[in-house]
Amino acid sequence: MSLPLVVLLPFLGALAAPLFAQGGRTAIAIASSVPAIIALAALYPHWPTLADGGVVLHSYEWLPALGISFSFRLDGLSLLFALLILVIGLLIILYARYYLKAKENVGKFYSLLLCFMGSMLGIVLSSNLLLMLVFWELTSLTSFLLISFWNHKQDARRGARMALAVTGGGGLALMAGILIIGNIVGSFELDDVLAAGDLIKNHSLYPIALTLVLLGAFTKSAQFPFHFWLPHAMQAPTPVSAYLHSATMVKAGIFLMARLYPALAGTEQWFYMVSFTGMATLLIGAYVAMFKHDLKGLLAHSTVSHLGLITLLFGMGTKLAAVAAVFHVINHATFKASLFMAAGIIDHETGTRDMRRINGLWRYMPHTATLAMVAAASMAGVPLLNGFLSKEMFFAESLQLNLPGFWAWLPPLVATLAGIFAVAYSARFIHDVFFNGKPVDLPIFPPHEPPRYMKIPVEILVFACIMVGVFPAISVGPLLYSAAAATLGGEVPEYHLTIVHGFNLPLVMSFAAFFGGLLMYSQRQRFFDFHARFREIDEKAVFEAVISWLATTANRLTSSIENGSLQRYAALLVISVLAVAIVPMTSLGVFVGENGLSPIDWPTLTGIALLILCALATAVMHRERFYALILLSVVGLLVSLGFARFSAPDLAMTQLSVEVVTIVLLMLALFYMPSWTPMESSTSRRIRDSVIALVAGTGMSLITLAMLTRPFTSISEYFLDNSKPGGGGTNVVNVILVDFRGFDTLGEITVLAIAALGIYAMLKNSALTPPPGDGKGHAWNRDAYPLMLRQIARPMLPLALMVSAYIFLRGHNMPGGGFIAGLITAVALILQYIASGMIWTQYRVPFRYHNVIGLGLLFAVIAGAASYAFGYPFLTSTFDYIKWPVVGKFEVASALVFDLGVYLTVIGATLLALVSIGRLSPHSAIKSLKESA
Amino acid sequence: MELAFALAIGALTTSGVYLLLRARTFPVVIGLTLLSYGVNLFLFSSGRLATGGQPIIGSTSQYSDPLPQALVLTAIVIGFAMTAFVVVLALRNLADNEDDHVDGYQSEPKSKPNTEEETEVSGK
Amino acid sequence: MNHWLTAPILIPLLGGILQVFMGYAPISLRRTLALTTTVLMLVSAIVLLVLADDGSYRAYAFGNWEPPFGIVLVLDRLAALMLVLTATLALFCHIYSIGGADEGNRQFHALYLFQLLGLNIAFLTGDLFNLFVAFEVLLIASYGLLMHGKGTARTVPGLHYVVLNLAGSSVFLISVGMIYSVTGTLNMADLAIQVSTVSNENLFIVEAAGMMLLVVFGLKAAILPLCFWLPKAYANATAPVAALFAVMTKVGIYAILRVYTLIFGDQAGELAGLGMDWLFPLALITLAMGVIGALGADNLKTLVAWQVIISVGTLLAAMSLGSEAGTSAALFYLLNTTWVVGGLFLVADLISRQRGTARDRIVTAPRMHNRTFLSALFLIGAVAAAGLPPLSGFFAKLLILQAATPGTQMAWLWSVVLTGGFFTLIAYSRAGSIVFWRTVDGHVENPGNLSGTVSVSAGALVALSIVIVVLAGPITRYTDATAAQLHNSSDYIEILQTPMVGREE
Repeated sequence: MSLPLVVLLPFLGALAAPLFAQGGRTAIAIASSVPAIIALAALYPHWPTLADGGVVLHSYEWLPALGISFSFRLDGLSLLFALLILVIGLLIILYARYYLKAKENVGKFYSLLLCFMGSMLGIVLSSNLLLMLVFWELTSLTSFLLISFWNHKQDARRGARMALAVTGGGGLALMAGILIIGNIVGSFELDDVLAAGDLIKNHSLYPIALTLVLLGAFTKSAQFPFHFWLPHAMQAPTPVSAYLHSATMVKAGIFLMARLYPALAGTEQWFYMVSFTGMATLLIGAYVAMFKHDLKGLLAHSTVSHLGLITLLFGMGTKLAAVAAVFHVINHATFKASLFMAAGIIDHETGTRDMRRINGLWRYMPHTATLAMVAAASMAGVPLLNGFLSKEMFFAESLQLNLPGFWAWLPPLVATLAGIFAVAYSARFIHDVFFNGKPVDLPIFPPHEPPRYMKIPVEILVFACIMVGVFPAISVGPLLYSAAAATLGGEVPEYHLTIVHGFNLPLVMSFAAFFGGLLMYSQRQRFFDFHARFREIDEKAVFEAVISWLATTANRLTSSIENGSLQRYAALLVISVLAVAIVPMTSLGVFVGENGLSPIDWPTLTGIALLILCALATAVMHRERFYALILLSVVGLLVSLGFARFSAPDLAMTQLSVEVVTIVLLMLALFYMPSWTPMESSTSRRIRDSVIALVAGTGMSLITLAMLTRPFTSISEYFLDNSKPGGGGTNVVNVILVDFRGFDTLGEITVLAIAALGIYAMLKNSALTPPPGDGKGHAWNRDAYPLMLRQIARPMLPLALMVSAYIFLRGHNMPGGGFIAGLITAVALILQYIASGMIWTQYRVPFRYHNVIGLGLLFAVIAGAASYAFGYPFLTSTFDYIKWPVVGKFEVASALVFDLGVYLTVIGATLLALVSIGRLSPHSAIKSLKESA
Repeated sequence: MELAFALAIGALTTSGVYLLLRARTFPVVIGLTLLSYGVNLFLFSSGRLATGGQPIIGSTSQYSDPLPQALVLTAIVIGFAMTAFVVVLALRNLADNEDDHVDGYQSEPKSKPNTEEETEVSGK
Repeated sequence: MNHWLTAPILIPLLGGILQVFMGYAPISLRRTLALTTTVLMLVSAIVLLVLADDGSYRAYAFGNWEPPFGIVLVLDRLAALMLVLTATLALFCHIYSIGGADEGNRQFHALYLFQLLGLNIAFLTGDLFNLFVAFEVLLIASYGLLMHGKGTARTVPGLHYVVLNLAGSSVFLISVGMIYSVTGTLNMADLAIQVSTVSNENLFIVEAAGMMLLVVFGLKAAILPLCFWLPKAYANATAPVAALFAVMTKVGIYAILRVYTLIFGDQAGELAGLGMDWLFPLALITLAMGVIGALGADNLKTLVAWQVIISVGTLLAAMSLGSEAGTSAALFYLLNTTWVVGGLFLVADLISRQRGTARDRIVTAPRMHNRTFLSALFLIGAVAAAGLPPLSGFFAKLLILQAATPGTQMAWLWSVVLTGGFFTLIAYSRAGSIVFWRTVDGHVENPGNLSGTVSVSAGALVALSIVIVVLAGPITRYTDATAAQLHNSSDYIEILQTPMVGREE
């Protein structure tokens, strides 16, 4: 239980921390340190187990489907890192208490810091690779938020985004790598993976997996060529830089390499990729650090270089090198964290970090100076300090590397060179800052020692440097041993933690590095001049440029594809339909099926010919909108005749009545619209469209032909058989509509209702003034409501109502039914509107059409729901109950009520729609006002 | 007979699709209406063509397939609703953009773009 | 027959009818009733989820006419999942709309409820033509909703949306006609039987019809090259509507999933797996296009709108792997993406309310009034959408990646999904840091202050991604079961044997 607790605690702390923000910085600092302390206490009992190479596992099922489990694992390596995270974390918490200003958002800061601590612990303690990945990305996120803590600074924002892009992107690569490894091993549990080292290395996917995993590690640990994000992350508050970007987070990549060392290391590919990356990073970092005038910049690049050193050690692949690597992790964390804190103090007290201005601080803050100098010396690798020991080991290992021929000299050379630079920039850090004349116009002058407690973390770390440096064996011996053992997965090679191993080549290299470094520093001006010849590129600017280039290019690309042209979209739709349909249709080959063609009679032929003509004419003459409309109505008429001709009387009537209303509708629309279409689309466009249209038309004809001439059997027999006995009507179509497939009809009238509501809503707030004439100079007829029309229209109403009632009632057995009846009524009413105007009609037809619609729908639903009462499913027509004499009487009732619903909905919807269009023009409203007065 | 019928559907589709691809709302609406005629006839014909076989029990010996007829009836109604809506939408477009171009362009660039937000930032 | 199956249909229908009558009732009353309806709908959906979880198919024959002759509703795990998904999203969007977005149109709630009606019918129906009707119901309602709100910005995108979908409906009808002309039936289960027995020549007709159906569903789902109507339409829609529309594309996905596992599923003989080989590459291209759009977006709503397309691509890519694992992963991702994207639309709206004339455009503007709260919401949403841990998007992505079996398919899927994820991350971090951090001095006159309803609903939707993570175990179990049920659809056919009331067969 204790391991999950260790990871969980900081997150709980993160939730709690903001609550203490009111209590001031001290309160929140204390509150935030509690989780870390408890975590340390929780880890302590496990030490004995780990000391003798044991492993602690706590595992809980989570997502078997995913292979993720809440399993945590503590061994020497993870303990080492956990301690670094917790101890340095505590020191940082204390340090930040004095670093942050009271007015800053300390709640947010500490809560993010704890989030990071938890995520980091999660990485090192997870036993499940996917779980580790979760925490891995969490550290990227928290670091993003911490770097941008001062998000009013542009540099902070950019640095944060760069860090997120690089590390987050690396995380994605790592994700892929881990998934591959999981596929190979068949499990994401660390023990299984570590055990399956050979299996992985011999797998065909190993190269890809390794590359991806290393991408993750290198990006996180700022290895060349991904190192550029780290220096820019220094825009973060110094505690963050000290904690995330020198001591812990950047070590995550290192940790990953150490963790998967048994599973992935020991191959050619590993050796070349890791060691050469490490070498490059080591050198570049060290070189650039030399020329940075910004304190933190210097430290940042030195961090990069040291990370490179550790990477190189892991790359070498020898066991001793791995030990040295682990050892250097500890040492670097201690001296670099303290250096950052010292830099923070100086920044805090002088108000600047520019080494060209901060000089001779020794006189103002001797105490801090001493601490900083010791730490810097350790960074330089001065004997009796911890940095020296691991550097010795590194030199020794660099000599062991058996590269072919001349190349054998490369590693030692690089090592020494890097050593020289390291000494040089350390010397610069010490001499420039604390001696070298007087300070140059500091923002805060005179600087003085920081608050007592602000120095304590530094003191502790520096003390650690000395302890390890002088008594390595007793101070870190056991911890290092168990960590190394865990890294190597068992046997640890012979190694001696002593200050000097006698006079040998490594020692010579150290001396060379030391004096070479001092020499280089003394001659620094030459180097600066030399360096000044190359203008250094600002990665941040480059990165921003790339991002904004991406954005603009993407934007241009998008707007060129998604150009908001309906014509293009529609064409795309039609073309895709044709594209997918053409293949099977061509393979259909013969289109006339076995039924063959049946003879045609003259009337039908003429009708169809006329239909075709009018249809094509509509397209040809569409510019003359009025004629197009007339032609359209003729087409509609012919279509309804066609229905009648091919034995579909209901369809014929429906089509006819719909036709009338549609044309009225379009007429109304045309009243407002320009009455002709300008010539716009280019000839090529028109040709393209006609081709598309022709292909579509031909396709439809062919499919129709293929369909019509093939025999088939359908479920319709059932309807014909059951319409009378089951549905109680002889008009099968109508019975299908109100009974067999009543649900479709319910949906259909709902559509009608919604359409009307939508139309009403859409037009309610907009007004249109119709053009004064028909666009051809003819003014509209003065007499809006001609007498003739009125005289004919008014008597029409009762007549139409009678007809519709008749059609409605007979619907179940003869052609007709609620829909057609509804439309007829509607048309009759519309006629009144046209003939006599809004006010007149409204006055005499005092319904609110919304309610008519609602009523219609309600009737339909009630008719359907009635059957619930009898335990029958929705829409069961009561006709079924003829077996039951009790209700036998109501035979047709429910179906009729349903149809009544249809009838009302149709009237309501049609009128609501048309009337709201008619209302559009204020002009016509005024007229009808005059008229009614 | 089938051939003629097929050709009719083809003609309706051709004109419909062509008009659908125009740049003004009115022709597009006309095109959609034509297209729906074609589609309705097509759906209707999926039950094959029959003469004098109206599906009214007792009216004739051989009935045509009633189901497609019912489907087409539903389709007609829905099509009507949709046409009404799109016509009104076209009017709304005319009202908002003072022209009936499907993409909201004006023939003569006289007036505002159809997003009513100005481009500079307030509060500076 | 279990009458509960009709509940998700009748509840919004009756609620909507009520709204039609109450156009002039006080708005508070209308709101209360409308919300109650949505809540009831959610309850009924959950009831159905519990029912469906026993893994059996439940059929409900309207009018007591046995399938394939009458129309049946069919409840299975997938249908139930979609219902709950929709109802949950709908509830929060509805609450948000109460915050003022529903004003200016007395019929808003009616349209909203009818929209839900159409969605629910689509998820439940077992009849191909009835599916068409359902589509029309939800489309016409969505037209109305899309046009809801002040200003003229949405007219043209709305027009495009409507015209394209009308054309799409015509194609739908044509395909139905072609299928009927060969199989002579409309019930999906019956079709599954008939299609497998279709002979030589007719095969091509059915194949063509099937492919055309795919195009229709593709248009609804916004697959490239049929996705371009979406960004402008969604970006200009009123916030709660846009958020609700996060589920509209999923209807297309659902239809594909249903039709192409059932009718053209493994048992479909010659036509088994129809069109699936087209789908995978298209899905990846769609995903890529979405990412490009997101990168180039110059305002938050457009960014989120392209996120919708990204999710469509991801979903289809996972589905078209054709494996149970793929389908299950897709369903898990579906939950995540639908809710989160919906939430992001709402968050974007809240942001734009507080930035004066800068709206939600990705430019510098005065500091927002509730910056911390909004940035937290945006962060959660972005993390979940971009698929970063610890939120649901990450796990969904993991599932999808794991569903691929080694080979070229895997290579393609992984590289596109991961690269896409990377650039999505960049898009969000860019947008976020500009909108929230790069501020200019000065203040916005009367910034829209956050009322309880809007902030709660937006927050809740985004926070659902956390809930998904917490419940990931049960959810994956359910989606696995759903995928399994889908992939051996032979049991579905047994709904044809559903006994009718009062008739012993």
